[in-house]
Amino acid sequence: MDDRDLNAVASMIYRQLKRWISSRSRIVSVIVQPLLWIILLGLGFGAIFSAQNIDTSTWPSFVKINPELLKNIVSKYFTTLFGGVDYITYLITGMASMTAFMGSFISGISVIWDKQFGFLKETLVAPASRRSIIFGRMLGDAIINTIHSTAIILLSLLVSGSINIWGIPAALAYIFIMSLGFTGLGIALSLRFSSMEGFQMIVNLLTMPLMFMSGVFYPLKTMPDWMKTIALFNPLTYAVHGSRYWLTGTDTGLSFMNPLLDLAILSIFTTIFTIIAMILFDRASLED
Amino acid sequence: MKLMDEIVVVENLVKNFKDIVAVDNISFTIGRREIFGLLGPNGAGKTTTIHIIATLLKPTSGRVFVSGYNVVEESKRVREKIGIVFQDPSLDNQLTAYDNMYIHGKLYGLKGRELHDKIMELLDFVELKQFASKKVRYFSGGMRRRLEIARSLLHEPELLILDEPTIGLDPQTRARIWNYIRELRREYDMTILLTTHYMDEAEELASRIAIMDHGKIIAMGTPDELKAMLRGDAIYLVLRGDIDSFCRELSFARECRKIAENRIEVLVDNAPKVLPELFNIALSNNVVIQEVSYRRPTLNEVFLHLTGRELRETIEETPVIRRAYMRRHWR
Ligand SMILES: Nc1ncnc2c1ncn2[C@@H]1O[C@H](COP(=O)(O)OP(=O)(O)OP(=O)(O)O)[C@@H](O)[C@H]1O
Ligand SMILES: [Mg+2]
Repeated sequence: MDDRDLNAVASMIYRQLKRWISSRSRIVSVIVQPLLWIILLGLGFGAIFSAQNIDTSTWPSFVKINPELLKNIVSKYFTTLFGGVDYITYLITGMASMTAFMGSFISGISVIWDKQFGFLKETLVAPASRRSIIFGRMLGDAIINTIHSTAIILLSLLVSGSINIWGIPAALAYIFIMSLGFTGLGIALSLRFSSMEGFQMIVNLLTMPLMFMSGVFYPLKTMPDWMKTIALFNPLTYAVHGSRYWLTGTDTGLSFMNPLLDLAILSIFTTIFTIIAMILFDRASLED
Repeated sequence: MKLMDEIVVVENLVKNFKDIVAVDNISFTIGRREIFGLLGPNGAGKTTTIHIIATLLKPTSGRVFVSGYNVVEESKRVREKIGIVFQDPSLDNQLTAYDNMYIHGKLYGLKGRELHDKIMELLDFVELKQFASKKVRYFSGGMRRRLEIARSLLHEPELLILDEPTIGLDPQTRARIWNYIRELRREYDMTILLTTHYMDEAEELASRIAIMDHGKIIAMGTPDELKAMLRGDAIYLVLRGDIDSFCRELSFARECRKIAENRIEVLVDNAPKVLPELFNIALSNNVVIQEVSYRRPTLNEVFLHLTGRELRETIEETPVIRRAYMRRHWR
């Protein structure tokens, strides 16, 4: 990579950031969506997953259980399940990763837009290496997604008392790497599917299962085995596990998982998809 | 790397898209400081040719060099040398004019103060300086085109490629863009390759023209050479005097005949050059010239002559009479 390639990386980061700043609606929608999840799921299920709401007054009189003891047991059950924190903390820390994950696929959409609106040709005819151009673009989008996640994490400080502020940078690093990888995947898909409809269809088919089989909404431990297996192959799982670990100190993964292993797996995933996106963009021509 | 004087060398270029032959074995060269025009109707293969020269498409066969570099094997070098304005828009509408320029500059390795100054200079050149911080999506078609031209000049290309630079623009904007192109050639010694299907545009700007049709180059030369294929200009005179003896005196005329009472038509190679002599002969033969006009064949007639079809969408309308005349005489 020579000086001009670095310049090209910088120019594409600049472009993606400038576009992001100028499209307020996108910022709003990317932040509002997780916010809705947090409010609707977090408050709704949060109340169910809490022992405080067990109403003993309607129980038949032959049930001889000390209500306090029961609440203690149930409460312990749930906190163990969610790694030692309440549900809303569990959910919002997963949501930080999910926001960046969902945002990553917008990069793919923007490549298709650029194809249709012609800007892609401008980048294809530039003397800077294609690899640096696409890498700059991925970096720019990953930075934007990480900023979105930062907003969610800052929000989590308001709704939850168990967030470790000092863990935030480490958590963001996991999220950034994961987002870079999925950005690469999104771009690779967009270079294969030139129609917006085709791309959207694939992305919808992909994101929904990945989102639910990652530990964002419910723990991996209680999943059926087949689901666990899929989750193991889902890179988002490791970003959720790792970033949640740094934010709350909890271990909500399967027994073999640990933050270092998460980092290693995410790095491998991201390296692979960065290379794939680069190769595909290198080959891109006006013929497809 | 191949050393040569020509900035563009195209040798036996063929490009197929599946079963479509878009470019069918064409060869041409462009010398430095030339304005070379590729003229042809829709689907002739102009854009395909240009995209191959600009390294965006690979030739099916044949070789293309820009500044001595092979467009396939040394594409990066070629990309450094060229600036291109595509037929279809290629700006980022979400960004300002300045940012579009800035990103382009960075992609071509410019930076800092130098980049900023060049951006302002070029925006000034295309008269868009006061719109520098306006988003491109609020620009008119003509403004976008001018911005694209400014952008393509930012890295000081050796070869400027303009694909249909004035398509869809109003006459004032076309004239403005023509002026920029002439100025680039005059002040900056730029070599320009332009495609168009407006024959007046090719005639107005190009020093050399290749006429393309169905993927083939069917004629090539300076506008004058091309028009000479139709063998000359027609001079129309209204006069009083001895027409027959006057006609006999015109040794340079290929043909001289009476077409109406007092009206003659003289076919010559180059009307402006022979007119003074013609006046002199009239004077010494006591012939009084009351009216004079001449018509030069346009590229439209050349295209018609070569293909039997007309280049449509021309701005300049050719009179029907003359067309009928040409069919009779030059085919
Ligand atoms: N990517 C492509 N895939 C398939 N066919 C193509 C492609 N690009 C061009 N063609 C075909 O190649 C032929 C030449 O097209 P080209 O765009 O080069 O013509 P042109 O001279 O630029 O025409 P216009 O004046 O309409 O721009 C046309 O028949 C067109 O349909
Ligand atoms: Mg074209």
